[in-house]
Amino acid sequence: MSATPGSISGAFAGALERCRTGIEGLDNILSGGVPKGNTVLVAGNVGTGKTTLSLEFLVRGAEVGEKGLFLSVTEASTRLIQNLSTFEFFRQELVHEGRIVFVDVPVLYEKLGLNRDELTSDDIDVFVRTIESLARETGASRVVVDSLTSILYRIRQPERVRDFVLKLSQVLNRNSCTTLLVSEIGGGPGPLSPHGVEEAIVDGVILLGNTRRQGDILRVLQVVKMRGTPHSRAQYVIELTPIGLLMAPHLKGGRSEER
Amino acid sequence: MASTAVADRLRAMAGGSAVALRLRPESYADHYFAALNATLREVGMETQGQTIFVSVTNPASLVWSLAQALDVPAERLSFVDAISHTMMNYRDPLPNATYVESPRMLENIMLRVEYLLRKNPNPRTIVVIDSVNTLAIHNPPDLLSEFFHILLNNLKSRQVLTVLLAVYDETNPDLDQMLSLVVDETIDVSAN
Repeated sequence: MSATPGSISGAFAGALERCRTGIEGLDNILSGGVPKGNTVLVAGNVGTGKTTLSLEFLVRGAEVGEKGLFLSVTEASTRLIQNLSTFEFFRQELVHEGRIVFVDVPVLYEKLGLNRDELTSDDIDVFVRTIESLARETGASRVVVDSLTSILYRIRQPERVRDFVLKLSQVLNRNSCTTLLVSEIGGGPGPLSPHGVEEAIVDGVILLGNTRRQGDILRVLQVVKMRGTPHSRAQYVIELTPIGLLMAPHLKGGRSEER
Repeated sequence: MASTAVADRLRAMAGGSAVALRLRPESYADHYFAALNATLREVGMETQGQTIFVSVTNPASLVWSLAQALDVPAERLSFVDAISHTMMNYRDPLPNATYVESPRMLENIMLRVEYLLRKNPNPRTIVVIDSVNTLAIHNPPDLLSEFFHILLNNLKSRQVLTVLLAVYDETNPDLDQMLSLVVDETIDVSAN
């Protein structure tokens, strides 16, 4: 809906420079967008639209001159671009002209000699520095890592997980990049990230999930945390349409059961 | 002819109005056809006009066949069909329809209307919801009131004329009260 209830823009809007996601409903509930330089966890279980939201964030940015970098861990870039082509808001030229750059992380691991089961502290430093270089070389002001969870499979010690997320957030913030870190979590209540520490370090958390009404499943979105901006904490129903992600208030009249 | 009088009343409404079009059960077929004629053909086919028809009572395919009988071209009419899936009647989807799986998915109905409004921006769009009674079969009253309140306010802010079809004697007092709260005017088809 164009006028999303819960929008509180105006109260503190303008305090920090915004990175407009280009997703109208989301920008409304964030009082104009994500504060520039923030690192945001996009958390949710499978099939809730995390990757699509992140891709639309890059495409909308590229359309207004903000270059994007997509670090893909689990899915080959060619396939992602193929899927993206089904959306009317995407144009192939954005990739051909280098306004959105896709990088396959497994290829990066190989080039850096990091294709081992567990990354050491030194490996983490090399990896973070490489991501920083990529952001600088591409001139990206929007970065997506899809998924953080897959990277963290190789970083098993909690202190190293914390160290990696912190360093990554710091270097990307230093380079004025607004970053989305995709995080895969199970359904139901519990931590918003597999290790339970990621959500404490990042600046924001956008939670995607499913809710049931009389057996029907609705996709929902909620901004749980966002530093530097007032934001709605209400839940919204979303649809991934050919023209982009659309949001409507989640009606409360009926009973629903979290999944 | 009832449809012409109804169409005149609709044309007289200010932009962004919401109207309940009440049909009599004893003359349902005639009144339903008059309502379609008034909305889809007479108002919907005016210059720059288009109709988004939210189909909950009958599948879009049935309404589309009636619209074709009224010479309404496909480019002037889009459907949000929220009943075909539930009726297991989804074999031949219409190219000018978008399908919601269940009439209980009210937010998705809102989002599909939003989708069609954005996809085909048009200064003179009319949204027809067929019908309040059928939505009430599938949804509790408090949820339905919330749905209409949000949807109609959104459409009002975009100057979209909204027509809610409702059959007399098939609405309970709660539903009647809700309708009187959300609409600007009620038109009795039999009185025109």
